[in-house]
Amino acid sequence: MIEFRLNGETVTTDDDPSTPLLWVIRDTFKLKGSKFGCGAGLCGACTMHVDGEANRTCVLPISAVAGRNVTTIEGLGTPENMHPLQQEWVALSVPQCGYCQSGQIMSAAALLESNPNPTADEVDAAMSGNICRCGCYVRIKDAILNVSAQKLAYNAIDEVKA
Amino acid sequence: MSSNSSTNSINMSRRRFLKTTGIVGGGLVVGFSLAGCAPSELPIDLSANGFIPNAFLQITPDNKVCFYCPRDEMGQGVTTGLATLIGEELDVHPQQMDVKFAGVHADYNNPAMGLQGTGGSSSLRAHYLQLRQVGANTRSVLVSAAAQELGVAIDDITTADGFIIVAGKQYPYGQFVSVAAQLESPEEAPMKADADFRYIGREFSRIDAIAKSTGTAEFAIDIDIPNMHHAVVVRSPVAGAKLKSVDKSAAQAMPGVTDVIEISSGVAVVAEKYWQAKTAAAKLSPTWEEVALSKVDTKTVQDDYAQAMQNEEGVTGTDEGDVEAGLAAAEHVVEAQYWAPYLAHAPLEPMDAVVRIENGEADVWSGVQGVGGMQGLVARFSGIPAEKVRAHNTYMGGAFGRRGTLTHIVEATEVAVATDKPIHLLWSREDDIKNGIYRPASLMKMKAGVGSDGKLTAWQAKRVGGNITPKTLENMIPAFFPGLGDSSVDFIVGLTRDVFSGWMVDHSSIEGISEDYDAPNKIVNHVTVEHDVPLTFWRSVGHSYTSFAKEGIVDELAEKANIDPVEFRLNNTVNNPRLNNVIRVAQQHMQKMQPAEGRYLGFASHNSFMTDVAEIAEVSVKDNVIKVHKVTCVVDCGIAVNPSVVRAQMEGAVMYGLTATLHGDLDLQAGAFKQSNFHDYPILRMQEAPAVEVIIVDSGTSPTGVGEPGLPPIAPAVASAVFKATGQRLRSLPLRLA
Repeated sequence: MIEFRLNGETVTTDDDPSTPLLWVIRDTFKLKGSKFGCGAGLCGACTMHVDGEANRTCVLPISAVAGRNVTTIEGLGTPENMHPLQQEWVALSVPQCGYCQSGQIMSAAALLESNPNPTADEVDAAMSGNICRCGCYVRIKDAILNVSAQKLAYNAIDEVKA
Repeated sequence: MSSNSSTNSINMSRRRFLKTTGIVGGGLVVGFSLAGCAPSELPIDLSANGFIPNAFLQITPDNKVCFYCPRDEMGQGVTTGLATLIGEELDVHPQQMDVKFAGVHADYNNPAMGLQGTGGSSSLRAHYLQLRQVGANTRSVLVSAAAQELGVAIDDITTADGFIIVAGKQYPYGQFVSVAAQLESPEEAPMKADADFRYIGREFSRIDAIAKSTGTAEFAIDIDIPNMHHAVVVRSPVAGAKLKSVDKSAAQAMPGVTDVIEISSGVAVVAEKYWQAKTAAAKLSPTWEEVALSKVDTKTVQDDYAQAMQNEEGVTGTDEGDVEAGLAAAEHVVEAQYWAPYLAHAPLEPMDAVVRIENGEADVWSGVQGVGGMQGLVARFSGIPAEKVRAHNTYMGGAFGRRGTLTHIVEATEVAVATDKPIHLLWSREDDIKNGIYRPASLMKMKAGVGSDGKLTAWQAKRVGGNITPKTLENMIPAFFPGLGDSSVDFIVGLTRDVFSGWMVDHSSIEGISEDYDAPNKIVNHVTVEHDVPLTFWRSVGHSYTSFAKEGIVDELAEKANIDPVEFRLNNTVNNPRLNNVIRVAQQHMQKMQPAEGRYLGFASHNSFMTDVAEIAEVSVKDNVIKVHKVTCVVDCGIAVNPSVVRAQMEGAVMYGLTATLHGDLDLQAGAFKQSNFHDYPILRMQEAPAVEVIIVDSGTSPTGVGEPGLPPIAPAVASAVFKATGQRLRSLPLRLA
């Protein structure tokens, strides 16, 4: 039995401890937003946050997340209450087929948490583990940089108010 | 899929289209198919009630507008595009509609194909007038109903965003659906003038953007039904090789495993959860029969092609004027051979499907480019009549031609029948790369001559390789004609194979190799050499490799004649005015560009799927690594229904094409593809992705394709820039510097 926190709630599973987190989330907890693309940590479609950091969960056994915090795309935002990155994704019509986008957004969110003002090169580096076969890279990058700029603007307003 | 159908078919269907009966509150909904077949039930959810004036629309009393989208969404934005067409004339904003994927019915056929298929960049072109007419007819009925109900003249009514407007007062469409259902729909209600468009030509977010940004869009991999079991199939690494032997015991003993069975494509392991099935499948070590392909390496293919190029004339396609005389009259002649490898599509969602068979009926869920084929295959392999198979199309996690071949539906059906369980079948990435159906490899020999006036005098092209059409028919005939016996299918496929080997050229094999330029003397020959590698459509099909040879030889000829290569193209595309204009617009942009030191501009243009595209690639080469910094893309696709979606398709096609230009390669070793996942079949990543600027040429003509035409120019544009940077003419894909 392995216990961890999933999108803020404590959960337990008796799946085999070697089972990759992705399949426990999808098949046992029935959250389907995180996708399977390669099974080898090469494409990033399965990206979730473990204690706030982007992780490729198709190769991460659940034994490694015992007692830790796991956040999936469902925990980041909902259609009714979207994360700023998701709002910008919609505004720029970033997705094409959309299959990789949960992973893209989770990688982008982890980046902005740790580095709210990344350079274009830092965005490239942080996103290099996420493949988009439709080739939405131009818009993904624009969306991340736009949110970064907006957040800085909000922070500046907050500072003025303070 | 390529198609040359003209818009005539649209006009025909417009007249014969949709004599349907509308009913409020459920009940039988009858649709008469275009083909004039017996009326059959529309696969529409009647529980929502509402006004169903035709196969495409359902308007409920609470003013919800549901659009049953006849084409399949693989990322190309077709749901947004088609909703825009019908919404424009209905006066409902596309984002206000609830869009559902249509089930199987002849009313949902692609007018350019005559069947329910999505491909060939055809959807907006094929449905442009049809869906606008449906929208206009439905709006007309609603206006008539409102006039009757409100006691006003039709001329006093206007409409906007789902409301009837009379003297400044708004009434939702839903208020009039009961009356509307009693009225007869006109067949040719007047449509808007282009100048009155409110949604066509405007930009708004894709209607699937929220679902696809929140993980809530449903793909086949996400389908979850009671008692669903998961299946993983182990297949021969060599296509077509049958199972020789397998010891199932170790897999059978693994936790969660319920069944280990033999199916037509290999051995299936079924378990309660996917990971259990996957882990157990790794315990199998089946052996396979030898087939002819088992002896084939990439070198075998290349040697066979080279021999055929040298020794065989093949079949003649285009044959105009006298090429020998044209070459003799030329001032400069160049000749060169170009190579393009086998490629996998590698959509990010591997092939997957759910099949449930219960009480003599079946349900199938998958994301496919032909929902009718999915229904037909389940019927064929379960023995259940097609009308008792409900086919549910989902979003596709990429397709690029791959999801027109549905062997995964056959597999899922066979497993569901054999185990008597609802089955979720999922391919791995390794299955996708190793057991797929591929873009054919091609060897192309080009020879062209130019006169002292800068005009082409002769154009000679020859391609050696396999053909797409026979294999496609092998997969499609059983799907669309489930009642046809195997021997009849074999006969038709065999006949097609013979026809394209010996009598005529399979158009998909050579499309784009000769059409764009004005040479008065042209000849195209084709030699079919097959190695039993499964082949199919791959984004832009034949154009994906012919453009590389065609634009390459033009670049070489212009250089030899000392003519600016863009000027050369302008001089030799006079008979293709739209392409000529696109080249001219791109030239104007190129003349203003000032690439930084060490960066070089390469140019290429190409017409495909009735759309003209020119691309300029800004490239540098350092330590033999080719870096593409920026791509400028000029496109004329007729009216851009949603310019943001058009730009996205150009951006995406550039990236897809760059993967093929810089990385895409598959090696055959003893009949099996060596590559297996993204470490050895790399896909372009963000740090390699260029900036892309898309310039859409203003146009008032009907839309043409956008999903594929952005791809063909990119490889030759990059190759041209690499030549300027290094002096090396790279004539093999992917581009590798010596």
